[in-house]
Amino acid sequence: MTEANGSGAPRLLFLHDADVLPGPLGSLRELAAEFDVEVPRHPGFGTDMDAAAADWDCVADLAQHYLHRLERDEGDAAGPLHLAGAGFGGWIALEMAVRRQRRFASLILVSPYGVKLFGRTEREFADILLLDPAEVVELGWADPAACHGLRMPGFPAHQDDAQNERAFADRAALARYAWKPFMHDPRLRRWLHILTIPTLVVAGGADRLVAPAHSSALADLIPGARYVEIPGAGHYPYLETPDAFRRAVTSFISDISANRKIGARQ
Amino acid sequence: MKCFHFSEMPYPYISPEAEEENRGLKYFMPNRYYDPARGYELYQRYLDEYELADELGLNLMVNEHHQSASTLHVSATLSAASVLARTRNGRVLVLGTPLPHRENPVRVAEEVAYLDSISAGRIDCGFVRGVQGETWPSNQNPAHNMDMFIEAHDLIKEAWTRHDVFSWEGRFYHYRYVSIWPRPYQQPHPPIWVSGTTRRLVEWTARHGYTLCNLLGTYDDTASSFRLYRKTAVDAGLPEPSPDNFAYLAFCHVAPTEEQARRSGEKLMWYLKQGRLRLGAASPPGYSSTTAAVAALRGKLGEVRKYSFERLVDEGIMLVGTPDTVAKQIQRLYEATGVGNLILMNQAGEMTSNEVRDSLCLFAREVLPAVAPIGRAWQDDDTSWRVDRDRGPVETVLASALS
Repeated sequence: MTEANGSGAPRLLFLHDADVLPGPLGSLRELAAEFDVEVPRHPGFGTDMDAAAADWDCVADLAQHYLHRLERDEGDAAGPLHLAGAGFGGWIALEMAVRRQRRFASLILVSPYGVKLFGRTEREFADILLLDPAEVVELGWADPAACHGLRMPGFPAHQDDAQNERAFADRAALARYAWKPFMHDPRLRRWLHILTIPTLVVAGGADRLVAPAHSSALADLIPGARYVEIPGAGHYPYLETPDAFRRAVTSFISDISANRKIGARQ
Repeated sequence: MKCFHFSEMPYPYISPEAEEENRGLKYFMPNRYYDPARGYELYQRYLDEYELADELGLNLMVNEHHQSASTLHVSATLSAASVLARTRNGRVLVLGTPLPHRENPVRVAEEVAYLDSISAGRIDCGFVRGVQGETWPSNQNPAHNMDMFIEAHDLIKEAWTRHDVFSWEGRFYHYRYVSIWPRPYQQPHPPIWVSGTTRRLVEWTARHGYTLCNLLGTYDDTASSFRLYRKTAVDAGLPEPSPDNFAYLAFCHVAPTEEQARRSGEKLMWYLKQGRLRLGAASPPGYSSTTAAVAALRGKLGEVRKYSFERLVDEGIMLVGTPDTVAKQIQRLYEATGVGNLILMNQAGEMTSNEVRDSLCLFAREVLPAVAPIGRAWQDDDTSWRVDRDRGPVETVLASALS
């Protein structure tokens, strides 16, 4: 599923979060004017790979899948590719980057899960596998009334039974990948220090699913990473504040192109 | 009909405000509401009731739940050990150990073998998946619940029956050296019971010939579930299942008059209080099929909780009345479902120990003798559930039991 915008545009592979609708949404649609944007659906979340992936039980399986797909479809010699991921997708992107960072021109993470940073009794990821959809929206949006682009069991309320079954199946897939340790892999943190590709960490200032303090501390652990906090956005800045998100991404990528390197965090 | 006494051992002292604030009594209940001194008194009281039930000729059943004011049983095997030490006669049904929620199946095999050994084989060994909400205290992956249940069972059975050191490299469990001491007293192993309604689980239980237990189902749902079991067993080439292959758990209270029985019996409804668990808690991801999950979303899960007292009696879930009335209800239950084991939840919530003891004594004196012969000559009985007579549809039923 490629959003082609013509030829020769830089490519952006965007890995989706656990409860967003399929396809390029919000600012990903606008970014398609400048990038060749692809938003693949994760195996287990309603794809023709679901049956084959029924036994996959960790995010490393998804990282392996996407890396294999890149290698299979275009060989190692293909052109530059920006790797991005939001929330759960950000975790997958990090797992891919620590395995094969040289394949990617840059890494863009939006409030990613995946790395546990704080104490044993500090709950740094909201329990999205337990909370009601209304609670997820309340914690995940600066303005809950503006929520759009999400699908969860029983949400939106008018959703029919087939859509609810899909949403339950998405939740079951997330449980398979991320139940315990919850929404993180302890092995990931110990390899963050090897990352040398330009990295951007974006967080919404009002995100209470993954607090901005978490994303900021994560950026501190990635050498040279840039951290951008968008006020007025929650966990889904590409949906809630699409212009600000697009500016953060395009300015980051044009800085890379200009400098071929990113300075210390700013 | 074999009868078992059962109490969930609830902690009934939670204020309505605390219950409301915590969305019910289970799984997420802060233990600041627990008073250790009152807890001690409750344990002694409930164990005394088990002791009385045993003296009166009943069998006994224990279970476990976690982080809940609804029950103070924390380990079915620990409770069984306590009950065994207090009793001499009845069988002790461990229903059950929630296999997916126990980290170590070999330890379960050892514990049950120990219980069986110290009691010269008084143990019936139940294995359960654990109701949905148990996911949260144990933190075991609900998406793997059924597969973990089956692998843990396979490992336990191997540990009981293979009389040599073996290794186990499965999907969920890994041991390089297994050979448990003691072995079970009953050889090759204690009778195995399973409770549940999920189609895959019912079919699996039938093919193994284990006893299937339905908890608080309506007559119709229980009959449907048992029908699926019988057809599966016969299709697998096993003999036609007898009433002994089936068990049913109901509320029970008997008293000298209908009015008195109802007055006390209504207190059993405490157990069915709704609570306000989040959908995600009552139907954790991947525990059930997506169809069952949508049914839960539509409010079909644990529908029994919404029934009136009269409906609970009509559906066979509440066995309440004079001894004569209750004996007739049990006869009807047998005729509708072909069940041969009856687990009686004789206590719930604020029901006093005197109420429980009076009911137990009256039940033992007047109901037990009347219902004991039921089902003994099942092949001669004129019933609707025999495999060659039953034309009812084989349907999957939704869990009536309660998260």
